[in-house]
Amino acid sequence: MIRKYQQRAEQDVSGFKSPADDYLEGRLNIVDRLVIDPECTFYFQMDSNSMKTYGLRSGDLLIIDRSMKAVKGAIVVAYVNGAFHCRSYETENGRPFLKGDTDRIETTDGEVLQIWGVVTAICRNTLPSQLRKGDYERVCTL
Amino acid sequence: MFALCDCNNFYASAERLFDPALNGKPVVVLSNNDGCVIARSEEAKQCGIKMGDPEFLIRDILKKHHVNIFSSNYVLYGDISERVMKNLARWFPRLDVYSIDEAFGWLGGVQDLQTLIPKIRASVVMNTGIPVSIGVAPTKTLAKLANKIAKKSGGTMILDTPEAITKAVATFPVEDLWGVGRQYYKKLESLGIETVGQLRELPEMWFKQHMTIQGQRMWNELWGRAAIPFDNMPETTKCISVSRSFRNYIEDPTVLCEAVTLYASRAAEKLRRAGLRCLYLQVFLYTNEHREDHPQHYPSHTHKLAIASNNTHDIVKIANTVARALFMHGMKYRKAGVVATGLVHEQELQLHLFKPHDGGKLDLLSEAIDRVNLAYGRGTLRMASEGYVKSWRLKHEFLSKGYTTRWHEIIKAV
Repeated sequence: MIRKYQQRAEQDVSGFKSPADDYLEGRLNIVDRLVIDPECTFYFQMDSNSMKTYGLRSGDLLIIDRSMKAVKGAIVVAYVNGAFHCRSYETENGRPFLKGDTDRIETTDGEVLQIWGVVTAICRNTLPSQLRKGDYERVCTL
Repeated sequence: MFALCDCNNFYASAERLFDPALNGKPVVVLSNNDGCVIARSEEAKQCGIKMGDPEFLIRDILKKHHVNIFSSNYVLYGDISERVMKNLARWFPRLDVYSIDEAFGWLGGVQDLQTLIPKIRASVVMNTGIPVSIGVAPTKTLAKLANKIAKKSGGTMILDTPEAITKAVATFPVEDLWGVGRQYYKKLESLGIETVGQLRELPEMWFKQHMTIQGQRMWNELWGRAAIPFDNMPETTKCISVSRSFRNYIEDPTVLCEAVTLYASRAAEKLRRAGLRCLYLQVFLYTNEHREDHPQHYPSHTHKLAIASNNTHDIVKIANTVARALFMHGMKYRKAGVVATGLVHEQELQLHLFKPHDGGKLDLLSEAIDRVNLAYGRGTLRMASEGYVKSWRLKHEFLSKGYTTRWHEIIKAV
C-alpha cells in the first residue's frame, strides 16, 4: 500500500538553508503500523470486559481488517445472537467457535459462523482522567 | 473486453453491513425528506414495493411485512462506495466509475476470464462486505446485459464468445436492455419484438431510422462491435446545484432565507472543491404543485455576478437577496434551490473594470472555514443567517449512523 507522506515545511522564508534539507525523510506515522489496508479497514469499539485475559479492555478501539481470513487464534469480530462479538477464533474438529475469557460461542448445526473481520490491532488511551482534556480528551478510546 | 461491476441493492446492502440482523429481511431506503422508496432489498421487492413508491401511500404494506425503513444516509453510502471502487480499481487497468454503485472496468487482453472474474468478485465482496455482480462482454451494452444475468446466476457472467452472446440475448427481455426507454419499448412491443435476440436481427437501417444514431450504436454493440468508447475522462461540470424540499411549508421570508443560506453555502463549498467559480447564480422556489387548493408560485431568477466568485459570503449574500425578492406573501413554499452556472476555472479570474476587488480576502476566509470544517466536522463554522432552529430541515427519521466517518458513532462490540 502506497501512502502519501506529509510534506515538510520548507525553510525558504528566512533564506536559511538547513544542512538537513537533503536528508529529510517522512516522519513516522502511527497509521502505517496500525492500518494494513485503509480501503478494507473499519473501526469498532470494545464495550465489555469479556476479553480481559487477551489484553482487551472495555473502551479499547478495535482496528478491523475485512480482507483477512480468520485463522485459529486470531481475534475477530463476528455477528452472533443479535450482537457484534469480539472474541478469539478457535477450531475444534474442524468446527469453528468463538472463545472469550469465560464463554464459548458456537453456532447451531447448519449455521455458518459469519466472521465480520479480523482485529489487527487495538488502541488504548492511557491518560489518567485529569489529563484527558481538550485535544487529548478523545484520543484513541474516544 | 468490458466488465460492468454493479453493487446489488447498494443502499440496502450498506445498511445491512452494519446491522446483519437485517439479512433475509425486507429493507427499503427512502429518498431525501423520507419521501419515496429509492432502494429495496430482494425481500422488499417481493413484497411488491416498487421503486419510487411514496412512503405515505405504502404504509400498510410496510407495516404488514415488517419492512425495515431507512432514511438515505449518503455519508455512509459515499464512504462504502469509495471502498468498493478502490477495491475494484486494484484489478482493472482502467476503471470508469459510472455511478455511486456501478463501474465499467476495461480488461485489455486478459486471458482466462473464467477464473479471474469470480476471483475479483469474491475479493471485493469480502473486503467491503457489499455483494457485487460482474458482467463481462466485448461491448458496454452487452456488459450491462451480462451484469443483469449475473445478478440472477451466481454473481458473474462472461459473454466472451459469439455463441455465448447469442445464447444470452435469445431470452433477454428487450425492456431491460440498456438504452431502451419506455417509448422505444412501446414501439418494439407493437412490432412483436420481445427479446434482444429478435431486436438485433432487425436490419441496421431500421435502427438508424427509428432510433437515431444511438440506435445504430446499439445495433453495433449488440453484435459485439464496441461503439461506445471506454471513457474515463470526467465530464466538465457545467452547473452545480443544491436544492431540497422542506420538511414543512415555508411562509416566512426570514425562514426561507435561512434555508437558502444553507443551500448557497453548500453550493459555494461544492464550487471550491471543484476548483471553480460561478458567473451566474440562479435561485428558484416551488410551491406544492400537487395541492390544487394552494395558490401556485414557481419564481426563478438568475443573477449575473460582476466578478466570478466561489466564496460563501458572496454566494450567500446574492442568493438571499434574490430569494427575498422572489418571495411572495401568502404562498406556501415547498422547495428551494440554488444553481451556479457560467463556471470558470478558479485561477482564471476576470476582474471588473468598475468594480473594486477585495483581492481575495473573502476567498481566504472561505478557505479557512473549509479547513476548520474538514477537521471538526461539517457545519462547525457556518453563516449565522442559516438560523438555529432549522425547522425546515429535511426529515430523516430513520437515519442510521455514520459508522465509518464519525468516531462517536462507531459500532460497539461486546
